[in-house]
Amino acid sequence: MSNFALEVENLAKVYERRGQPPVRAVDGISFSVPRGEIFGLLGPNGAGKTTLLKVLTTLLRPTSGAARIEGFDVVARPLEVRKRISMVLQETAAELFLSVRDNLLTFARFHGLDSREARRRADTVMEKFQITSYAEQKVQDLSGGSRRRVQVSKVFMIETPVVFLDEFSTGMDPILKRAVMGYLREEAAKGRTIVLTTQILSEAEELCDDILIMNRGKQVARGDLNALKLLSAGVYEISLTFDKLPETIASDVARLAPLRSHIDDNSIEIALKAEEENILDIVSGLSKKGRVLRVEVSGASLEDIFVELTKEK
Amino acid sequence: MNPLAAVFYRESKIRATNTTFLFWDLFYPMCYLLVFGVGVNAALGSPALGAHVNYDSFFLAGVLGMASFGIASNSSWSFFLDRDNGIFYEMLTYPMRRSQYLLGKVLFNLCIGIVQAAITIAVGCALLKIHVQWSLLPLLSVVVIGGTAGWFFFYSIFALKICRNDLFNSVTSVFYFVFLFASSMFYPLDPLPRWFRVTALANPITWEVDLFRYTSIGLGVPKQLVWESIAFALFALASFAYAVRCLREQG
Repeated sequence: MSNFALEVENLAKVYERRGQPPVRAVDGISFSVPRGEIFGLLGPNGAGKTTLLKVLTTLLRPTSGAARIEGFDVVARPLEVRKRISMVLQETAAELFLSVRDNLLTFARFHGLDSREARRRADTVMEKFQITSYAEQKVQDLSGGSRRRVQVSKVFMIETPVVFLDEFSTGMDPILKRAVMGYLREEAAKGRTIVLTTQILSEAEELCDDILIMNRGKQVARGDLNALKLLSAGVYEISLTFDKLPETIASDVARLAPLRSHIDDNSIEIALKAEEENILDIVSGLSKKGRVLRVEVSGASLEDIFVELTKEK
Repeated sequence: MNPLAAVFYRESKIRATNTTFLFWDLFYPMCYLLVFGVGVNAALGSPALGAHVNYDSFFLAGVLGMASFGIASNSSWSFFLDRDNGIFYEMLTYPMRRSQYLLGKVLFNLCIGIVQAAITIAVGCALLKIHVQWSLLPLLSVVVIGGTAGWFFFYSIFALKICRNDLFNSVTSVFYFVFLFASSMFYPLDPLPRWFRVTALANPITWEVDLFRYTSIGLGVPKQLVWESIAFALFALASFAYAVRCLREQG
């Protein structure tokens, strides 16, 4: 049996549309993910993350290449794959006409859990996700955030070896999000493999053991956070707070050709690529424009790496 | 748990906790018989049907056919609800085959269809004094099962192919008009113009309603019914095969 939970070999998905050039949503991606790892799939909108996830969860057939979940090919053995996965879709997916409890119990039935065990787990999961107080309410009567809780809580009802989460934290408050990230780490520690896509890079930075960055259907970088940061050596984040924002600061910042920048009432944040010995000169030059209250210089964040790797050439 | 049983459990939970669904599926067809059937019988009589068959009796088969058509239409519309709720795609990642998903859904509809037919026939007998051929009831159950399943598979093709709710509603409205009125549901075909009769005889609703008419009140030509039952079975099988294919293309 393979040591990997996921194996993807030269996978491609091409959408053919009449009268239009074909779109290569996934374009020759290859990677493998060991068991028990939290694997992050990052990329800008339209990078091909969701298409890749759909192929891996048997919702779409690839145009070419191969993908295996726990050793089972997603095209040749889709049923075996489905027995080993659970999925949280990007869109909120819940049984609106059923109560919260019935949502969990129905999901458990589909995954072969006996009803007594399903009821026991439902109670535990509802407690974890703070949805016990509306256990008997129909999901259609809940807010969007609560519906999302119901949706994400379902994957904790069962013990499939691989869990796919597409933008799982959308609509969650920060406290619950932090708690769920903790639960995900616990599940990974038990040996479950978590594959997640997210646009919130701090989430990936905090959670993922391994990250793959995609753009235009292709892999642009792969590795753990430290390895990715090496790719972006020479990228620095500078943050300056003035007592009053200097008038020319926007043009001064633009002249530095930053990877990204943000200017608000009295502070600026920029990420730029520069030689180490020049950084102090740049900070000093900006500081002369006004009275500075705070200065901070740090190495590249995942966001900087992401922007640098996926920006339009 | 068996995937078919899981889908059945899900469908029954949704229907059982929503009484409006139950009303439309179980009692609405009976209301049609009581209002439209009684009205036509009283106002127009039944000169074309023969002395021994009144319009209430004739129309019972039409109501049963209309009910199976309606239940199938409502159920296939549930694909839209599931798609809107996002649960449709999530369900496609559950451990079951696409065919099991469809069969589980149809299994529940067959139970609804049987209960609906029992209520309609019971009301027809008790209130309208319709003389039902009790010995043919097992056959009538087979027609309920085959008819409801066939129409569900047929409608599922359109519900899966068409992603816009408004477009699907337009299609079902056209289907209701064409299938129901160009058939033997509301009137006997013999007095009608030849082009109308030919159209109606090519209409699967006519095949199903003729079978209902024979198995409920014993009216019909056995040789023609054999052909109609074969044709409907082929129609249902072809619809099932194509609906499964459409489901496999979802994603």
